[in-house]
Amino acid sequence: MTDTNASRPVPDLGGGHTVRRYDEELAKLRAIILEMGEHVVGQTQSALAALVDREESQAYRVLDREPQIDYLSLDADEEVFRVIVRRQPTAVDLRIVLAMSKIAGDVERAGDKATSIAGQALELKGLAGGLDELPEELKQSFRALYDRACCMFEQSIQAVAHFDVALSLGIFEDEPPLCEAGKELRRLLGDEERSELTPRQIVCLLTSAHALERVGRHASNIAEQVIYVALGQDVRYRNREILIETLRHQGY
Amino acid sequence: MNTMAEAIDKTTGAMSASELAGGIHSRATVGDFTVADPRMSCRDVDVWYGSKQAIKGVSLDIAQNEVLSMIGPSGCGKSTFLRCLNRMNDTIDGCRVTGSIRLDGQDIYDRSLDPVPLRARVGMVFQKPNPFPKSIYENVAYGPRIHGLTNNRTELDALVESSLRKAGLWEEVKDRLDQPGTGLSGGQQQRLCIARTIAVSPEVILMDEPCSALDPIATAIVEELIDELRANYSIAIVTHSMQQAARVSQRTAYFHLGDLIEVGETNDIFTNPRHKLTEDYITGRFG
Repeated sequence: MTDTNASRPVPDLGGGHTVRRYDEELAKLRAIILEMGEHVVGQTQSALAALVDREESQAYRVLDREPQIDYLSLDADEEVFRVIVRRQPTAVDLRIVLAMSKIAGDVERAGDKATSIAGQALELKGLAGGLDELPEELKQSFRALYDRACCMFEQSIQAVAHFDVALSLGIFEDEPPLCEAGKELRRLLGDEERSELTPRQIVCLLTSAHALERVGRHASNIAEQVIYVALGQDVRYRNREILIETLRHQGY
Repeated sequence: MNTMAEAIDKTTGAMSASELAGGIHSRATVGDFTVADPRMSCRDVDVWYGSKQAIKGVSLDIAQNEVLSMIGPSGCGKSTFLRCLNRMNDTIDGCRVTGSIRLDGQDIYDRSLDPVPLRARVGMVFQKPNPFPKSIYENVAYGPRIHGLTNNRTELDALVESSLRKAGLWEEVKDRLDQPGTGLSGGQQQRLCIARTIAVSPEVILMDEPCSALDPIATAIVEELIDELRANYSIAIVTHSMQQAARVSQRTAYFHLGDLIEVGETNDIFTNPRHKLTEDYITGRFG
């Protein structure tokens, strides 16, 4: 994981306007995103418990709480419109507003992934010959994937809080291990020896694994937007290795 | 120039984002102030009002068929610099201009050069519409007549009409050309002043906050006109409205305390400025 203490200090890009209300509006927009992120982390945690530990109540908890993230997403959109209309943002402020709009979308979709996992957990429960407990190696593999994905997501939200380039690079560096964890889980689920699971159950588990991996991918998207805000560089579709090396070389 | 500023290439403006994050406040111009085929070319221009230096070593080109906007806080020197471009500062006692300002390669401060025809080649539109206390027709006809640009009344009529058409005013005034120009609305008066400037066939049009006295609709009409005029003229515009600079210009120059801080493509300046002073100003953080 990235040593955040080594991060280059980044100025408070959203603050210091002559019109203080403008600072407050940008801070509010960022606060909505951070709150959404916190919800998603909780939702993903509950969804994993529902899937791996077979805690049905946690799955219902996820489904009940999903609208909170959706409503916050609407609030973020409204705030974006409001800032554009009132302030006609330019330069870093424009980048913040554009990035926050995209980040809100990624965070909301990450929340959807948690809901999807909770749905799969309930479906597993309801399938004929229901699955009371996952094999231990599958549990461990799901937890490993969850650790990677959720850690990346939490870091992406922290990166948004401080527009932290170094933290964003750390997320990019976590992409290969995330990919490996996903592959390992798919390998286990595809194992021909796994006769204790029905094909339908395997599909549910594969769907859940894919959703978990996607949470990590959304974190990467968010990290790209953080770099866009902080440095003004659109790093989407850029070679990750070269990007990491270049920016690390610049001191991030 | 300090050590950090030396790291900034004056032509390429190679200032890294990491340097910016460190909060550099260099006074070296960031960005390329040159263009491939300049209509006007200014190098190391200093302007003094008595002992006070208003412009400090500014170098900047104005391209053909471009709108260059100059922005910056009050007192930054942008209007002073604009007025150097057609020697309007000659009329101010104690004002001294050094450096080189060339129009199509010719030094406009050459002693042998008469500033009167220069001001026809480099026309100017001011903050407040200032039509002459004459008829609409005479406002436009005055310049061509004193510069001897037409041979007879028919040619003059045609020039007045074409100038008013280019200024987007013909349809509104064609039936009342003999009425006073001062009787028009503010926006129409400003377009009349633009027609007056166009009538003497300038190469460059300087505009000093041309819309600051106009309402939003009149402003929009003048901005549309500026965009159309770009096809035939080079335009340098001083504006306090950053949205206007973003809307009408292809390149933007940011001035601060007499220095040209940054110049570049307008899109770049307003989305990703490279100098912290530029960013602070255009985002409203300027204290």
